[in-house]
Amino acid sequence: MNIAVCIKQVPDTETRIKLSEDRSRVVEDDINFIMNPYDEFAVEEALKLQEKNGGEVTYISLGPDRVSSALRSALAMGGDKAIHIKTDKVPEDPQVTAQALTAVLKETSYDLVLLGKQAIDDDHAQMPSLLAEKLGWPAVTVVVKLMVENGRVKAEREIDGAHEIVESSLPAIIGTQRGLNEPRYASLKGIMRAKKIQIEERTLTLQPSSLSVAGFEFPPAKQAGKIVGKDASAVPELLRLLHEEAKVI
Amino acid sequence: MSKKAAPSFSKALFSGVVTDDLLFPYPKLSREEAENLDIMRDTFRKFADDTIDAHLIDEQARLPDKVLQGLKELGFMGMTIPEKYDGFGLSVTAYVKMLDLIAGYDAGVVLTIGAHLSIGLKALLQFGNEEQKKKYLPKLASGEMVAAYCLTEPGAGSDAAGIKTRAVRDEKQGCYILNGSKLWITNGGFADFFTVFAKEPINGPDGEVKDKISAFIVTRDMPGVSSGKAEHKMGIRGSSTAAIFFEDVKVPFENQLGEPGRGFKIAMEVLNSGRLGLAGGSLGGLKAVFKQAIAHIKQRSQFEKTLDQFEMIQEKIGQIAIDIFASESMIYMTTALLDRGDVDYSLESAMCKIRATEVTWNGVNECLQMVGGLGYMKEYPYERAVRDARINPIFEGTNEILRMFVALSGLQERGEYLRKLGKALRGPIKGFGLLTDYATSWVKERVSTDRIREVHSSLNTPKVNFEIWAKNFHFAVERALIHNGKNIIYREMIQERLADAAIDLYAMITTISRVDTLINEKGEAKCQREIRLCNAFADQAWRRVRRNLLMIDHNLDRDIKEISSFVVEEGSYPFEVQ
Ligand SMILES: Cc1cc2nc3c(=O)[nH]c(=O)nc-3n(C[C@H](O)[C@H](O)[C@H](O)COP(=O)(O)OP(=O)(O)OC[C@H]3O[C@@H](n4cnc5c(N)ncnc54)[C@H](O)[C@@H]3O)c2cc1C
Repeated sequence: MNIAVCIKQVPDTETRIKLSEDRSRVVEDDINFIMNPYDEFAVEEALKLQEKNGGEVTYISLGPDRVSSALRSALAMGGDKAIHIKTDKVPEDPQVTAQALTAVLKETSYDLVLLGKQAIDDDHAQMPSLLAEKLGWPAVTVVVKLMVENGRVKAEREIDGAHEIVESSLPAIIGTQRGLNEPRYASLKGIMRAKKIQIEERTLTLQPSSLSVAGFEFPPAKQAGKIVGKDASAVPELLRLLHEEAKVI
Repeated sequence: MSKKAAPSFSKALFSGVVTDDLLFPYPKLSREEAENLDIMRDTFRKFADDTIDAHLIDEQARLPDKVLQGLKELGFMGMTIPEKYDGFGLSVTAYVKMLDLIAGYDAGVVLTIGAHLSIGLKALLQFGNEEQKKKYLPKLASGEMVAAYCLTEPGAGSDAAGIKTRAVRDEKQGCYILNGSKLWITNGGFADFFTVFAKEPINGPDGEVKDKISAFIVTRDMPGVSSGKAEHKMGIRGSSTAAIFFEDVKVPFENQLGEPGRGFKIAMEVLNSGRLGLAGGSLGGLKAVFKQAIAHIKQRSQFEKTLDQFEMIQEKIGQIAIDIFASESMIYMTTALLDRGDVDYSLESAMCKIRATEVTWNGVNECLQMVGGLGYMKEYPYERAVRDARINPIFEGTNEILRMFVALSGLQERGEYLRKLGKALRGPIKGFGLLTDYATSWVKERVSTDRIREVHSSLNTPKVNFEIWAKNFHFAVERALIHNGKNIIYREMIQERLADAAIDLYAMITTISRVDTLINEKGEAKCQREIRLCNAFADQAWRRVRRNLLMIDHNLDRDIKEISSFVVEEGSYPFEVQ
């Protein structure tokens, strides 16, 4: 079974985001980049499937030079190949990324494409569906349990208040959700093994973007907390404030 | 190694020579290693977030099995062991950066790793023969064996040359017979691989038999090896500290490390490099608790303002940042000198250890002060950080002993050339450090220059101050030697001032180099914060240097000594207000 895992490199969740003066872009200089956490579930699942069924695991990532380190991180966990689609920057339009990934996915016959259900930076959550559309494959996303048997996929997806169990044919696209597995740590041996794997580089002409980011705004600064009272007598006032001011209940 | 080594920057400084070419540009990890380091840090963070609970470790005074097991399985016990022996082959620079990270999670964890890699197996790595390395390093890399460094004894702490443990050749049995005991050995409770320093009777060239120190590999499975109970400690409670006993232990001849009689040199060389790990780890502990303190003061309000708005709190925050910045500039310059492999760094590593451990001690204390009463409570990490940090100025050479080492080694260089004092100075240094083997003649050959290279104009004030005080430092060295002659070896308070001045000068120049190199790379506009830190540090540093140098000639040393002697004679503080 051949599995491809699409990986996005994103800023570490602890990063303090800085914007350029005109607020048109995020300043990348001091950002610590990591593998999108949802993609880690995809990597782990691919490696588990490989341990069971054999075959190859290939990682694909699109972006500037820096993304090679996300590929290395994945290789350090395990897997066989990595392809880096080199671009000047990460496209703002998910369509553009999907088109480029599709072109590379079509080069090889994969049985399964795994990727996080969304990336934690721009939170579009479109990639599994866009790839499915472009490849003409089924997509199952927000997956928390996955079984591949006899050429078919059985997956559990999280939906509001329940789990939905879905079956699909192969090849298929799987969007992975937290809870699917516990990603393994990259051991030092794994890191060393990864060092020896050559990352394949591709340059593609990207399609023109039909979506662009007009600007960024920081969320409003958090207000200081308010202490309404110290004992049970404060409950009515607290309820009133939560209802009328905070509008959360 | 020190035979071919280029002279140390600081030793040259004692002689009035500025070898700034050693320190510019500021070194940088290769891209490949930086990438590996990133992945390794990421692995460690994930592992640590899942398994390391510093509060619990401190309470239970041991590392949970899953922590030690995890460190072994992930390969952290083999970070610096060459790939050839199944390790990861990390450079010292990258290793110390790892220790910095690990220390932020738990002091006991970092010490366990450090005692294993920085000192426990270091002698094998540096001085072992191929067979010894092949036999043990792969097991040490996987963590199947954990290492410990056994020098200290009940009667020999700072004066390590005074050890009593003995190894006597028994030709009939074909092995050494080892007897003695070691005290406070880190990892002692469970280590299986011991680097043991012991005295061995050796025939001198004149036929006289003398006890000299040799180094041996001893393993726990040898009959007669045992360890004492775990010590009950103030801090670093997750680390194991225990006495080790050797009773008629048969140590095979082939377990001798390095040449017979060269053990003291081996012991000191190991500590020379080990101290850098201690320095880096120490700062890592400070950085972690600093982060917590900052989060606290940003949200704690008093007088209707958050604490970070008060000047005396800002002063603490700013000072800690300045101190960390300068200390790490020293440390990572020195690790790079070590990685280069051709520079004598023994003084510099001692200076890094002194400065970083004191900056840490002061820093954790100030963090505790900033958060007030809460800092005193066990639920919070501050009091633990203070307890954990306290060991650092004590082990791997106390900071007092290291100051003597720095000053006397620097003076030796000068004394040898200047007044044939070298010989007098050699005596005491031999007790706790290494004499360098390279000739001093290079000093004479250098045209003495008191200028350093051009640096970016924003760093001009630090640069000029460095030049002025480096020159004054050299004059002070000359005066100290001329005024005190051979007695300089007893004038510890002068040694201390010289050492502190040398430390500040080294910190200044490495900080200047770091920021100058950064400006060259990124442009001045992007380095405004670093420029400010460098200027602030250099200003504080030259004022300290000035004070220290002034006090070499004008001081209260005699009064202090007299007061000390009558208080000691009384046996307690003898006065009462009338
Ligand atoms: C937790 C812990 C872990 C340790 N781990 C190890 C280990 O793994 N392996 C190992 O071999 N050792 C280890 N040690 C021992 C440690 O290295 C020694 O404690 C240290 O070298 C100091 O020796 P000492 O305690 O005997 O103090 P002493 O030598 O008795 O010194 C006491 C004080 O006198 C000062 N002093 C001594 N001589 C002079 C002088 N000439 N001038 C001025 N001041 C002087 C010292 O600086 C110190 O302040 C460990 C110690 C501890 C506490």
